[in-house]
Amino acid sequence: MAERIDLEVPATLNGLSTVRLVLGGLGARLDFSLDDLEDVYLATDHLLRTALDADALDRLSLEVLLGDGVLRFTAGTFRSAKLRADVTIHAEDCLDLCMLLRRTVDDVVFEDEDGAYRIVLVKRRKGGPA
Amino acid sequence: MSGPDERRVKEPLDLEALPGQARASTAEDEEEASPPGGPTADAQGRGRDDSEKLDQYLLRRYHLYGDRTAREQLITMYLPLVRSLARRYASRGEQFDDLVQVGAIGLIKAIDRFDLSRGVELTTYATPNIVGEIKRYFRDKGWSVRVPRGLQELNIRLNKIIDELVPKLQRSPTINELAEAANATPEQVLEALETSQAYNSVSLQASPNGEGGEEDAGLIDYLGGEEEAYDTMEDRTTLAPGFAKLDKRERYILHLRFFEGLTQSQIAERVGISQMHVSRLIRRSLERLREEIGELDAPQTSRPSGDDPR
Repeated sequence: MAERIDLEVPATLNGLSTVRLVLGGLGARLDFSLDDLEDVYLATDHLLRTALDADALDRLSLEVLLGDGVLRFTAGTFRSAKLRADVTIHAEDCLDLCMLLRRTVDDVVFEDEDGAYRIVLVKRRKGGPA
Repeated sequence: MSGPDERRVKEPLDLEALPGQARASTAEDEEEASPPGGPTADAQGRGRDDSEKLDQYLLRRYHLYGDRTAREQLITMYLPLVRSLARRYASRGEQFDDLVQVGAIGLIKAIDRFDLSRGVELTTYATPNIVGEIKRYFRDKGWSVRVPRGLQELNIRLNKIIDELVPKLQRSPTINELAEAANATPEQVLEALETSQAYNSVSLQASPNGEGGEEDAGLIDYLGGEEEAYDTMEDRTTLAPGFAKLDKRERYILHLRFFEGLTQSQIAERVGISQMHVSRLIRRSLERLREEIGELDAPQTSRPSGDDPR
């Protein structure tokens, strides 16, 4: 059965550091390998930093669902069209946010509601023990 | 970028009078020195053309005649732009006033280094300088984090343990496996791994395990054989936006990770450095890319008169 953790942090770099530590602990519980954990750090860190630049936010609302070897990370609510474009549009030969997410997580999903949206990153355990 | 004393302009102005050098006024000077909109024109209520003309007039006064008052007037005129840019970063845990001061340093550098012969607007040149100075401030603050001795030691031990476990397990170890091997808790391992990011400026002569014993090879010894690989890296990676600012090794590691799809452990094995060091290099390189691309994206046309409402 999935376990759900809700987290709200200040929309600052210090807040992101807290998110990283929490995700590390949760990833460890899922027996993620160091490589998988680094992927989670990179994906969430760059997504949230882009969100901080794109949206005027005071707080970041996050939700983490832990399943069987799966970490489902949801951030939002956002309204920035630029953030959405940065997540979805990849410029050829450019190491942009879209490409970084493709290389580090298994799925990126948008949850739309009332003109705003939440972004879901899904990471499945790959490199850990069988 | 050359200093003010090396400036050359297209206009037929007197180049003998350089900043810091006084000379007698002439009738031509008076004409040249008349500010756009008349001698009493100021930064208030000016149109765009007048703004540009006044900028150019003040920049010439400063760079060609050493007029410090013109420099101060430019700084005052462009402080709203600094405040506007600083406001974007005010939500990151630093005082807004501190960011304005740091941004003002970027503005002053831009004014001092401005090249009159290039024909660009001061706003276009100053914006990336101001943003760059603010971002450097954040980066430098990040590097100054003091890591407790106990965590430093655990970090060094983990570095060795990871290097031992990867070939043994034939995969990247988990936090629990590292904790068991290091006789520490998973929380301590996570904290020690996180603090490893504080070691951003690693000397090429430093030992990769951080101990610096005589028997330890420096990073530079690991890197020699990789030069050829860096050179044969696909051109497309080298041409990706922002990559030109990275060194060969950083480009190579990002290429392997994001264009070739190798894991950090695989890159560590390929390059001959630790997985933790690969992690640090990737984070640092991505940070620099963010800065470079952010500066390219910075607004190029905003005028100093309008504060960003955000």
